Amino acid sequence: MKLATLIRLMAVAGWLWPSAAAAQETTPPVILVSRQLAESEGLEVGSVIRLATDASGTRAREFRIGGIYEPTPDPARLGQVPRSVRLHLPELLEMTRPVGVPPGAEYIASVNVALVDPNDAPQFAKDVNARLPGVLARPSGEAAGSAGPFRVLERFHLAIAVVTIVAATVFLLALTIMLVDERRETVGVLRLIGLPVRRILAQILLEGLMVAGAGAVFGLVLAVLSEQLINQFFQWRYDTALVFVRVTRDVALTCVSIAVPLGASATVVASWALLRRGGLRLARR
Amino acid sequence: MSASNGVIVDAQHVSRVFSMPAGPVTAVRDVTLQIRNGDHIAVRGPSGCGKSTLLHMLGCVETQTSGTLLFDGKNVSQLSDARRSLLRLRQIGFVFQRFFLLPMLTARENVELPMSEAGVPKDTRQQRVQQLLEYVGLAARADHRPSQLSGGEMQRVAIARALANGPRLLLADEPTGELDEATGAQIAGLLDRVNQAGTALVIVTHDPTLADRAARVLTMRDGQIESERSR
Amino acid sequence: MTALGFAWRSLVRQPARAALGILGVAAVGALLFDMLMLSRGLIVSMQDLLDRGGWDVRVSAGDLPASGLRVSNALQTADAIATLPSVQAALVIRGASAEIDRASGMPLKAAFQGVATRSTDPAGSRLRAPWTILRGRDADAPDEVVIDERIASESRIEPGNAITMRASCVADLEALPATRLMVVGVAEFPFQTTNESTVGGTLDALKAACGGNVGQEADLILVTSKGDADGTAAAIRAQHPEVRAATNSQVVGRLQQTGFTYFRQISSVLTTVTVSFAVLLITVLLTVSVNQRLGEIAALRALGFSRMRVVKDVLSESALIVGIGGLLSLPLGLLLASGLDRILKGMPGIPVALHFFVFETGALGVHVALLVATAIIAALYPMRIVSRLPIAATLRDEVIG
Repeated sequence: MKLATLIRLMAVAGWLWPSAAAAQETTPPVILVSRQLAESEGLEVGSVIRLATDASGTRAREFRIGGIYEPTPDPARLGQVPRSVRLHLPELLEMTRPVGVPPGAEYIASVNVALVDPNDAPQFAKDVNARLPGVLARPSGEAAGSAGPFRVLERFHLAIAVVTIVAATVFLLALTIMLVDERRETVGVLRLIGLPVRRILAQILLEGLMVAGAGAVFGLVLAVLSEQLINQFFQWRYDTALVFVRVTRDVALTCVSIAVPLGASATVVASWALLRRGGLRLARR
Repeated sequence: MSASNGVIVDAQHVSRVFSMPAGPVTAVRDVTLQIRNGDHIAVRGPSGCGKSTLLHMLGCVETQTSGTLLFDGKNVSQLSDARRSLLRLRQIGFVFQRFFLLPMLTARENVELPMSEAGVPKDTRQQRVQQLLEYVGLAARADHRPSQLSGGEMQRVAIARALANGPRLLLADEPTGELDEATGAQIAGLLDRVNQAGTALVIVTHDPTLADRAARVLTMRDGQIESERSR
Repeated sequence: MTALGFAWRSLVRQPARAALGILGVAAVGALLFDMLMLSRGLIVSMQDLLDRGGWDVRVSAGDLPASGLRVSNALQTADAIATLPSVQAALVIRGASAEIDRASGMPLKAAFQGVATRSTDPAGSRLRAPWTILRGRDADAPDEVVIDERIASESRIEPGNAITMRASCVADLEALPATRLMVVGVAEFPFQTTNESTVGGTLDALKAACGGNVGQEADLILVTSKGDADGTAAAIRAQHPEVRAATNSQVVGRLQQTGFTYFRQISSVLTTVTVSFAVLLITVLLTVSVNQRLGEIAALRALGFSRMRVVKDVLSESALIVGIGGLLSLPLGLLLASGLDRILKGMPGIPVALHFFVFETGALGVHVALLVATAIIAALYPMRIVSRLPIAATLRDEVIG
């Protein structure tokens, strides 16, 4: 190769090679940012931002936003706007490694494991705990430490529900007494005609069941509508996708199984006191 | 307090039309009637002829659809509801077929109620209640509730209540309708005494013996006064 | 007879019905009262808890509540803070987990709080640690500690006894030799949780228990200002931009937006539901009651009772039911609140001294106002019925009926 051509080639190579190296350095790594962070800071896909691990901005690095994600709603962090980013682990470790600590010696808080067969979780956890002292492995379903508050809240809600049912029962009794009393004369006449108490009570029970059943259905419809409203309100209020109220099949069945017998019983109880009186006394104005 | 010529009620061509889904119903048609101090009038007629409606208009409980009705010289249809209530409280007494005593009050308290509402002082009220109960022969049952009284006794208490504020006009709608003959006769006698004491009396009744005691008997048919007989 | 007297007679006419209506209002009213107490209960209780010790500014590495971060060079930072003109004293707090040996059975797990006061003011230097001595005295020397009632009762330890403790200040997996410490007092720790045991002492005692392996960090620095907490917090932030300094009110404000927000929302929702429920039920009760007495009411109108008077009678009846029920709802509500408070305090991490339901006169005032509104709104429909009652038609219907 002639010398001049070689020099030109080297010059061209010398020009290209630093540019290639510069191109590699100027392309920041890609991260994801939460929707809430993007909205509050006016960020878009493609924006380049600088992240640091302390407020002074020491060792800040540039990243390019590759996408905006919706964080999985965490009920334990209700009220806290999730301003978060997601990095590749090596980049996170690079940023957070203390000075003087060699790469590979960092620590992480936890590892999530997806098993081929989720039913193996308890055995897998047991094996890991046996083989790796200093590490605590738990199946996800048993990681109830953070679910403790929600168990307490469940008890709290149950207590509120009990009080509400007691209040409703008291009112229901008052109303059924009034409604039964309205038909005092009719019942008195039926007794005078010769209908036995049992027959009249059966009719009252049937009526009570129908009214209670209709009331329970109406209550369920109201609950489902309220569910939508409450969820929509709180999701707007806290800017979250969390579901706050859910009327499940079990909940609906429990409510109906309480409401219908309660309603029917209240009618019968209210009527019983009335039916103990004689027909003449009932029919008399 | 008195109207001119002692006329308490002056009804001129009064009619009452009720709007019903099936069409308007004329309950009272073009009735002209005057009630004076001390009048004793019975109104008879078949069911649905408008007797009770006429009574309600005379008692300012119902307003006429057309015509004019003056009570003590005042045009009733131009009075507010509050003024009409005051008129009924002070000048008119009502006795109903079904008594309508308040079951949670004693006989004494039922009689006292209109006086209390009219603002009569307590001492005066208590004195008058006692007088009225004696007048109707129930002083001994003053502290009994209506459920503890017979039908006749309840009606007597109702009459005492109607007289509580010394009305000029007493209106009775089938006062013996729920009573047996003997008791009805007692009530009729009591009403006579009330009238003889100076209170004008208008009774709507099916009872011929009650009607025969009246000085004027009006017979109504199809909303109109078909005939008037004076004794 | 006044409208109220008349209403009372109407109520007692049907004692069973009246009693049930009143009891229903009492139950609903109790729930309403509790929700009102809950809406600010946590905030009031937390504020009281924070203010109790007299420390009005809190300095931390991260946002409170606990972020897990520690304040670096804590003693130097506290010394510097103590020199600020508006600061009376600064208290460094460092925590560690500890195990206390028992005569038999497993060691008792406890939290060890080591404290050190920094102040340029003689009065400030005398300020005590954030716990209250119940028996004995406070710990002064590096081999002295105070314990809580739970440790004292479970292990039968009293001031004058010694305990053997293993503490870990850096990581839970340390295995350190036991340290013998003298118990000089039994104390109440305000932020102690239900299932927790706590031991308190000087920072030197903590260092000794941790085998000297403590480092320069602290969990929290408490500061007492000379009156201007906001100014002091601002001065600390200016002096040390790397830390967070918040007054007690600011800490409570932050909690209000995060952890406490659920309870405010649930109390608002339940207050709304409860009031609606009460209005609906009382409306139905009154309406049925009025409908059963239309003949009587028409007769009273015919006798001369004004429209206003019969309307007042209905309103008075509503007022009586809600008024008597409302009065009963107060003791019932307080009883219910103690039960609900006990349930909620079962949450992990809740200090024993913190309450969810706190009685405030403001809550009582709102309760009364809501009950008054309930009585009025519930009576609106039945009042409308009686005010528009066609007298003659009703009398006619009664005869026919």
